[in-house]
Amino acid sequence: MIAYIIRRLLLFIPMAVGMVVVTFGLLLIIPGDPASVLLGQEASPEAIERLRDSLGLNDPWYVRLWDYFANLLSGDFGTSIFQNQPVATIILGRLGATLELAVAALVIATVLGLAMGVISAMRQGSIVDTVTMIFAQLGVSMPVYWLGLLLMLAFAVQLGWLPAIGRGPPLPEAFWAALTGKPQVLMDSLSHLLLPALALSAMPAAIISRLTRTSMLEMLREDFVRTAYAKGLRRPRVIIRHVLRNALLPVLSVIGLRFGMLLGGAVLTESIFAWPGLGQLTITAISQRDLPLIQGIVLTFALIFALVNLIVDLLYAAVDPRVRLG
Amino acid sequence: MKKLLLSTTALILAMAIGPALAQEEIVVGTDVDAGTLDARLTRDTTAYRVADLVYSGLVHITPKLEAVPDLVESWETPDPQTFVFKLREGLKFSDGTPLTADDVVYTYTTLLDPDFNAPMRTLYTPIKSVEKVDDLTVKFNLDTPYAPLLSYLDLGIVPQELAEGGQDLATQPVGAGPMKLASWNRGAEIVLEANPNYWAGAPKIEKVTLKIIPDNSARAQAFEAGDLDVIQSPLSPQDISRLAADDRFGNAIMPGLGVTYINFNTKDPLLADPKMRQAFAMLVDQQTIVGDIYQGVDEVATSVLLPSSWAYSPEIKQPTFNLEGAVALFNELGWTDSNGDGILDKDGKNLTVTLATHSEDPNRVQTVEFLQAMFSQAGVDAKTQITDWPSFSTNYVQKSQHQIALLGWLNLVDPDRLLFSQLTTGGSTNWGGYSNPKVDELLEKGRSSLDQKERAAAYQEAAKILAEELPYFIVSYQGYQLFYDKDFPSEVNATPRGYLRGLIGMETQ
Repeated sequence: MIAYIIRRLLLFIPMAVGMVVVTFGLLLIIPGDPASVLLGQEASPEAIERLRDSLGLNDPWYVRLWDYFANLLSGDFGTSIFQNQPVATIILGRLGATLELAVAALVIATVLGLAMGVISAMRQGSIVDTVTMIFAQLGVSMPVYWLGLLLMLAFAVQLGWLPAIGRGPPLPEAFWAALTGKPQVLMDSLSHLLLPALALSAMPAAIISRLTRTSMLEMLREDFVRTAYAKGLRRPRVIIRHVLRNALLPVLSVIGLRFGMLLGGAVLTESIFAWPGLGQLTITAISQRDLPLIQGIVLTFALIFALVNLIVDLLYAAVDPRVRLG
Repeated sequence: MKKLLLSTTALILAMAIGPALAQEEIVVGTDVDAGTLDARLTRDTTAYRVADLVYSGLVHITPKLEAVPDLVESWETPDPQTFVFKLREGLKFSDGTPLTADDVVYTYTTLLDPDFNAPMRTLYTPIKSVEKVDDLTVKFNLDTPYAPLLSYLDLGIVPQELAEGGQDLATQPVGAGPMKLASWNRGAEIVLEANPNYWAGAPKIEKVTLKIIPDNSARAQAFEAGDLDVIQSPLSPQDISRLAADDRFGNAIMPGLGVTYINFNTKDPLLADPKMRQAFAMLVDQQTIVGDIYQGVDEVATSVLLPSSWAYSPEIKQPTFNLEGAVALFNELGWTDSNGDGILDKDGKNLTVTLATHSEDPNRVQTVEFLQAMFSQAGVDAKTQITDWPSFSTNYVQKSQHQIALLGWLNLVDPDRLLFSQLTTGGSTNWGGYSNPKVDELLEKGRSSLDQKERAAAYQEAAKILAEELPYFIVSYQGYQLFYDKDFPSEVNATPRGYLRGLIGMETQ
């Protein structure tokens, strides 16, 4: 088991190298140059050329790639061209906000999705089933930025219940404050988090609910379910112990994959809700062609994705005894 | 009951004390996070606006675009190539250290150093040297007379000692402006507080928070929800009409300092003849573009001179929309539909042209699509090319690869800023390769004469030629809008530059 985890973690290294090379290649291909963005429209061509030289952009690509790896080995992710700060500092400053948003959205999506899926599977063909599946269809088809603006219009502008934009105190800090007798800090934090997390959770909730439903329906028809009923077990026990437990397996791996998608969705959600996370940073970095920062973000996302996949695989083994990791 | 009484008392007490403790504070919405807050290196609107509050320059530019003394008491120009500035006595940076002539010399010397890579350096290149005469006197020596200089001397003065001592002004700015930086949460907000060391005393507003909300509509909604006290351009035309109609909000809507224009590549064989450019210009339906796409937020433009400028003249007029006239002119130039396929041709070749713009501004994209439709009505086979700004600027327009491009210029505080580098022969941003010795001469005169009447005459003569030869066709003068909550704690004096000194209750303007 330990050996398995170590092996998986080591596998991340070639993957990271691959990611860096691919991103680097993409950045070479896409046109546009940070020097001209940095100096603006009014800059003279000579000024742009001079800045390109000092940024090392005129070096051959293999020299730049080699330099990047050499720095990476010594733990240096480079310096952002635009913010003039270490890339690692910038990313670490933003990571918490994005993880908070993504985890909150995932929790909402899982709870909503499982509940909706189980209920509609149990009442297949009923009005409840139809309504739930219409919601699921809407959830899949609504773009997150549109849903976000709609939620903002309803709950912040019209009803005035929740703040429209921004982030409150970080959630872990807020929990601590609540424990030490300042519950309003937690409320502040949660009230900022709710709208963006809801907007972001719509799509995965819809997908999880549909998958849970299908998977449940499949299991309900299995022989072992009939056997369980034949043994005289009561319905709730059959559903929970026999049907749901088996139906959850495919759902679990999808939840893991969805986490990656959530990070992608966070890019748009963060822009709408002015959530100061990695997503917003990504957009800015790309639009400015801030090469070291883009590289750093891609690496971070890849690392998160790899870690989540590892966790899902471990969970899989815990839930399904047929899967043995070795 | 006792508990209720207690809490009621507490409530009344809180109400009584409340206003006395309330801090005068405003929250402003903005679209991007600042890149750097070093006054010499700022390059985005948020950074300009923060730097304007945190730093002070030698002069301050009023909403009417006049230069008035800020850090200086007065100035003289013994000859057209020399400016002598007298600093106020007892000036201090926000950290309490004195501001002297050395800091002024240091600021401008570093700015002019090519290796410092200051984005605005070109505006200051006519300065040959800046020298200290005594602690309170600074002398600027110019290569040639340069009239627009004063408009640019609001550049913030940075503290030499701190900067040389290794303090990173980009993240920890220290200036002599009315506010100072309190905190900066990257990507979320910049918080400023009043600077008691400002020479004219601390402003009435004690705290200014700039909240970064990238999406225009989300920013408008946050303003409506009461999360923000002020928002300003850039805003979506739809949001502007809604906010202007809402009586909870006050507004300042005025002509801005930017233009949206068409850049013709005069080096392109198809567009080398001014007559061809005139014919294409006649296909630009400015009324529809300004009225429907920009929903009346901008204004139909008539020449390269802005209505807000002292050089403006309503007499100078570019060609206006005239579909038949354009077709007639194309025919006159030999472009006719000889094979009856609906597209004009000449010597067996179709009249094909590429319209380009960048993808960040949806209104520009719509305008290009609309132009494409108008062009095809006249029998021009128009293609569009829309890419994001970095690739559009570096690989395309700046390399003069374009034919017809829709672009904009901002911060046109002086006519020189829209014309000299852009339209003189070999100018650093003359991407369309335009060259006319007469225009060169007039623009040179416009920047070197120190007499405003003489300057205006030169610019008007140049504008007349440009309205015929059309290296640029100015589509619209951009508007500026600012909305504020009616409960705003101070007077609101908006400036088309979007700067905030008019909102913080300063004694002097």
